[in-house]
Amino acid sequence: MAKLLDKQRYKCALGAMQTVQAIDRALPILHSGPGCAQKLSESIGSSGYFSPNIFPCTSINEKDVVFGGVKKLDSTIENALKVIDADLYVVLTGCIPEIVGDDSGEVVSRFEDAPKPVLYAPTAGFKGNNYKGHEQVVDSIIEQYLKKSDKKQKGLVNIWADVPYQDLFWLGNLRELEKLISELGLIPNTIFGYKRGIENINKIPDAEFNLLVSPWVGLSNVKKMERKFGTPYLHYKTLPIGATETSRFLREVGKFAGVDEAKVEYVIKEHEDYYYYLIERYADLFLENRVINKQFTVVSDAHYALGITKFLANDLGLVPAKQFVVDDTPKNVRESIKEEFKKLNYGLEAEVSFETDGFKIHSEIRQHDYHGYPLVLGGYYEKEVTEELKGNFLNIAYPVQDKVVFDNSYVGYTGGIRLIEDIYTVAVSRFN
Amino acid sequence: MSYKIAIGSSDGMNVDLKFGEVSKFLIYEVDEEIKLLEERIVSEEKTSSQCGDRKGCGGSGNGCDGQGNACGGPEDVISRVSIISDCRSVVCKKIGFQAQKQFEKKAISVFDVECSVAEALEKISFYFGKIDNHESLRKM
Repeated sequence: MAKLLDKQRYKCALGAMQTVQAIDRALPILHSGPGCAQKLSESIGSSGYFSPNIFPCTSINEKDVVFGGVKKLDSTIENALKVIDADLYVVLTGCIPEIVGDDSGEVVSRFEDAPKPVLYAPTAGFKGNNYKGHEQVVDSIIEQYLKKSDKKQKGLVNIWADVPYQDLFWLGNLRELEKLISELGLIPNTIFGYKRGIENINKIPDAEFNLLVSPWVGLSNVKKMERKFGTPYLHYKTLPIGATETSRFLREVGKFAGVDEAKVEYVIKEHEDYYYYLIERYADLFLENRVINKQFTVVSDAHYALGITKFLANDLGLVPAKQFVVDDTPKNVRESIKEEFKKLNYGLEAEVSFETDGFKIHSEIRQHDYHGYPLVLGGYYEKEVTEELKGNFLNIAYPVQDKVVFDNSYVGYTGGIRLIEDIYTVAVSRFN
Repeated sequence: MSYKIAIGSSDGMNVDLKFGEVSKFLIYEVDEEIKLLEERIVSEEKTSSQCGDRKGCGGSGNGCDGQGNACGGPEDVISRVSIISDCRSVVCKKIGFQAQKQFEKKAISVFDVECSVAEALEKISFYFGKIDNHESLRKM
């Protein structure tokens, strides 16, 4: 019996069209039914030079199911190359062509000699969600476009973090990570967002190492790059939010890259001094114990659940209730992520549940004793249940419906301060 | 359950006629096996009297009638559709937008493809067979 997924928090793998879109001047070409792009797109800053409404699409129908859609795909790619000026074309397949057995890879390979690169990423919905689709797109770039480089550039670091658009803060987060890395004297390289694009993609094989900031998304990509380009990688599982984690992050990256320890400590001190100056100014607010909740729950993908849990426990001294990871984390990495949740300061440990069913999550939240009002950070779905419990709610993960995010970020020292601001803005407004 | 497929073919081997060109549709019946059931003649009057002062798309003289061998205006489309309205599917080299819409209303599947009659019958019966039995179309 098929199961219904209550309150879905991710999309099908074809949602990776947003990953392509996040690359400047890269264009997804969809081999899918009409309407896929429409359903997968949202008004979350996805208009611009290319937007989901103009993505070339084969719009396959019943005829193509019966007789195959490869001819249509061929002509769609050919004409996209003619009429749309892009730097990189990525063909993404939906479920239908893959079920009926269209050999899309073969069609795409006919365009090997095209003036612009045309890549192919199989992103059928039954292969997984858009986190997997994101990996698939990066994979296709590594496998089909990039070549091994002999000239390694000293200090060049590829940074891989959020899944663009799935995480609304992706742009700000990546920029903040870049800033932190460059303060260590390294040269950051990312491929997503403004003025990055194909030139930065070309630099990927030259990097000294890959830095992956994510519990699991992208791990297969950096492993592949290690095999193909011989680029080592540093897998930093926790999104650094706030002073404790960011300082730890900088030390670890510094050590891995062989940056002078004194330099790392200098950078950390500069940031921490300002960070704690701000905290100190609001110490009276933090010490007023009726303002903030005693226990908190995060309902989000592993990326934020881990980052925020560590931040709230280590920096703000709150006690974690159960945390929910909703990104359908692959089973083989769950144990190691669980272990990360146990590495909190003050001997604290957070219990974590890998659950995608919104109904079960909400039932558990309702049943838990938060010793007062709960603090819930999650998707918009949690707003109602938190209000029911008279708790404080902050919308930080997909789906985000009550805020507009341009390039705000929760990463680093500034990101930590932003998150405190947002949480306390919610908390103090209760007393107005 | 058996169903019928209408095919536009001049030689019985290849799907080589446009919808408007067909003078007789080959009607195949799909049951346990596929067999040619009959040929359905599109009445003379309707095919020969096309060009001229008809209303609709041919009215101005340079609409779709202008080609001489295309559809004979909306009435012609409707009458052609009605001849084969008991079929589940229609296969021709090309089928115009008007006709496609008419078939859609009657829930008749339209396939405008250029291939052999045998291939069309095989693929379409495979497809209908799978969906009738609620089976996946996955070939792997």
